[in-house]
Amino acid sequence: MSTARETRLLMISPDSKVTPDQLVRNVHTMVTGLLVKETCYGCLVEGTPETVAALMKLVRERYRNEVFSKRRGYPQGDPRRCRAQHGTRPGFAQLEAEWAELPLIQGALDAFDRGENDYDRPAEKRPLPVSELKNICEAYR
Amino acid sequence: MKVFIDPPNSMILFDLVERLGHEPLSSMAVIQEKVDNIEVDMPPMNVTLDDVVKGLKYAGVEVPSGIRGRLSLWGPMIEAADAAVVINDAPFSFGCVGCDRSNEMTKYLIKRRGIPVLYVNYPSDAAGAKTMVGQIKDFLGGLKA
Repeated sequence: MSTARETRLLMISPDSKVTPDQLVRNVHTMVTGLLVKETCYGCLVEGTPETVAALMKLVRERYRNEVFSKRRGYPQGDPRRCRAQHGTRPGFAQLEAEWAELPLIQGALDAFDRGENDYDRPAEKRPLPVSELKNICEAYR
Repeated sequence: MKVFIDPPNSMILFDLVERLGHEPLSSMAVIQEKVDNIEVDMPPMNVTLDDVVKGLKYAGVEVPSGIRGRLSLWGPMIEAADAAVVINDAPFSFGCVGCDRSNEMTKYLIKRRGIPVLYVNYPSDAAGAKTMVGQIKDFLGGLKA
C-alpha cells in the first residue's frame, strides 16, 4: 500500500455553523507540515499518514460530530480531478448524496453522546420451526 | 480490525468505522496506489492488463470487463477484511461504484468469505439514522471482543 502521502477530504455537516474558512484556519493551527486547500464543502488536507492521523484526532476533538472525513485517492489539485482544469469528478455524485444525509448522522451521533440508546436492533435470524412453516402453508392453502 | 465498506467509496461508512476505532478498507486507498505507482491515464477508469487478469479470480471470463476491473480492486480488499459493513440498496450507485452486477458480486464475495457482516440502510429520518449508527456501533464494538 502506498504510504508516502495521505490526502483527506474534510466535509462539514450542513447543520453545522462552522464555515470552510473557519475550518481551514483552525486546521492550519492544529498540525504543522500539512497542505490545506479550502473547498465549498470543507477542505482537503494532505500530508504524511502520521500527520494526518494526528490532525484527525484534533479535528474530532474540536468538531466532534460536525466534520466528517474520508480518504481521497488523488492528490490535491491533480489536473485529472481539479475542476479549475476541467477535471472529471466521478465520485462527486456519491459525495453530494451523502452530504445531504450528514445532518441525520450528526443528530444520531449527538444522541448517542447524550446517552440515548433507543434504536431498532437487527432482527435475530433463526431457522423457521416446522410448526410455523406448517401454519404458513395452511394459511395460504 | 480491517473492515470492508460497501459502497466502497462511502464517506459516512468510512468516517463511522474510523471513528469507532477500526481500519476502513475503501476504494480510495487502492485507487491511490494506482495514482502514485502506476503510469495509467486516469485510474480507476483505466486499468492495466494485470488488473483484468486479477479480476478473473473473482469473476468468470464471460463476465463484462467493467465488472472484472471493479472486482480486481474490491476483491483483494474483501480477502483482507476481517468484517464488512454493507449498505442495502444504496440509491446512488453510479460513478465508480455504479454497476449493479459488480455490487451483487461484491455482496456474494463477502458472503463467501464468511466474515461477520452488518447490513444497514441509508437513513431517511432521525430514527433511521439512530438505527444505522447504533447498529454499526454495536457491530464494531462487538468485533473487539
